[in-house]
Amino acid sequence: MNGKSFFIDLSKCTACRGCQVACKQWKNKPAEKTENTGSHQNPPDLSWMTLKLVRFTEKTIDGKFNWLFFPDQCRHCVDAPCKMVADSEVEGAILQDEATGAVIFTDKTKDISIDNVRPACPYDIPRVNPETKVMFKCDMCIDRVQAGLLPACVQTCPTGTMNFGDRDEMLALAEKRLAEVKKRYPQAILADPKDVRVIFLCLFPGDNYYKYVTAEAGAPRTMTRQAMLARLTRPFARILS
Amino acid sequence: MKLKRRDFLKLTGGAVAVTAFGGLGFDLTPVHAKAEAAKLAGTKQTTTVCCYCSVGCGLIVSTADGGKGRAVNVDGDPDHPINEGALCPKGASIYQLCENDRRLQKVLYRAPYSDKWEEKSWDFALERIAKLTKEARDATFEVKDAKGQVVNRLNGIASVGSAAMDNEECWIYQAMLRAMGLTYIEHQARI
Repeated sequence: MNGKSFFIDLSKCTACRGCQVACKQWKNKPAEKTENTGSHQNPPDLSWMTLKLVRFTEKTIDGKFNWLFFPDQCRHCVDAPCKMVADSEVEGAILQDEATGAVIFTDKTKDISIDNVRPACPYDIPRVNPETKVMFKCDMCIDRVQAGLLPACVQTCPTGTMNFGDRDEMLALAEKRLAEVKKRYPQAILADPKDVRVIFLCLFPGDNYYKYVTAEAGAPRTMTRQAMLARLTRPFARILS
Repeated sequence: MKLKRRDFLKLTGGAVAVTAFGGLGFDLTPVHAKAEAAKLAGTKQTTTVCCYCSVGCGLIVSTADGGKGRAVNVDGDPDHPINEGALCPKGASIYQLCENDRRLQKVLYRAPYSDKWEEKSWDFALERIAKLTKEARDATFEVKDAKGQVVNRLNGIASVGSAAMDNEECWIYQAMLRAMGLTYIEHQARI
């Protein structure tokens, strides 16, 4: 067993935002005060209350107009930089479930600074509740997955964009769909399939959709001192434990 | 992974048993996991049909047994032939149709030419609706048209709406409207 993974096939996404709503409902997250920014992207960004967000981008690529949809969420990195940072500060604040590979923020994240964790994330995912200081992000619906259910976003998806299952199965599905989609969209890519458990199939290179679709495509996220130290001390931590 | 409703029910039952015996076989974040999985613990599953459009997606409503007996979660029904477990954003938010502190709990009435709302009782509202319906029907019911053909129709009243009615409620409503002679009947899903 190689844990679990998502496969998100953007060639099928219609931006209905069912995933965004289902996530909020299962997690009992409150509604956000928001405003019209001239886009259907609403609320405008992820937050501790909105763990899944469909991003909308209007882009002309090779002279052709495209309306690109990107259902953003935590990628559940195989080796999660946020966890490395957290481990260097408060042991057990960020955990990784062995069976699924899910990266999970616990209430202990209130004792670490978001200023260290958020810049460590190549995908700019972690958010903090300003009142309680607890950090939030997608937890792969670990409670549902353990009960044999699909994550709420995958269960609700009416188009087949969101898929979830054993990692090997999802990787195979991703490769199969990539080959099919490439016939029509030769620039199509899989976003960081080896490094993350949420594999996006993008019709165009990732930065057309959003800055942080792939780890490299984003602006260089300089590693914080903590992240660097965490990475350096990691082998020792392993030996000690 | 295809999950059938029976599996869903089985699993939910399983989750309850596990919780009862303590621990979820998940030792990483025991407190967190228990609190979250408790969402479906001890709930009863009932199927229904989404009322929001004419597609008619199947739903599984989980209601709390103890306590208030209110809905705690609504999922798509994986066994339903229409949606096979999927839901659109409106359907996915249908839980808020009943569990929402912003729902109006009382009848609000604005009298003709008034500029404010007053709280009224259901008895007041139903009686007033019945009275006005009867008046309008008596005044505009048409037995024969201009050519002398029997039509038995009521063109003075139209029905527009019914956004929160499911399939069965719509049938009863439609039957009542037809019996009264209405011809202008429109449902929210087509507006």
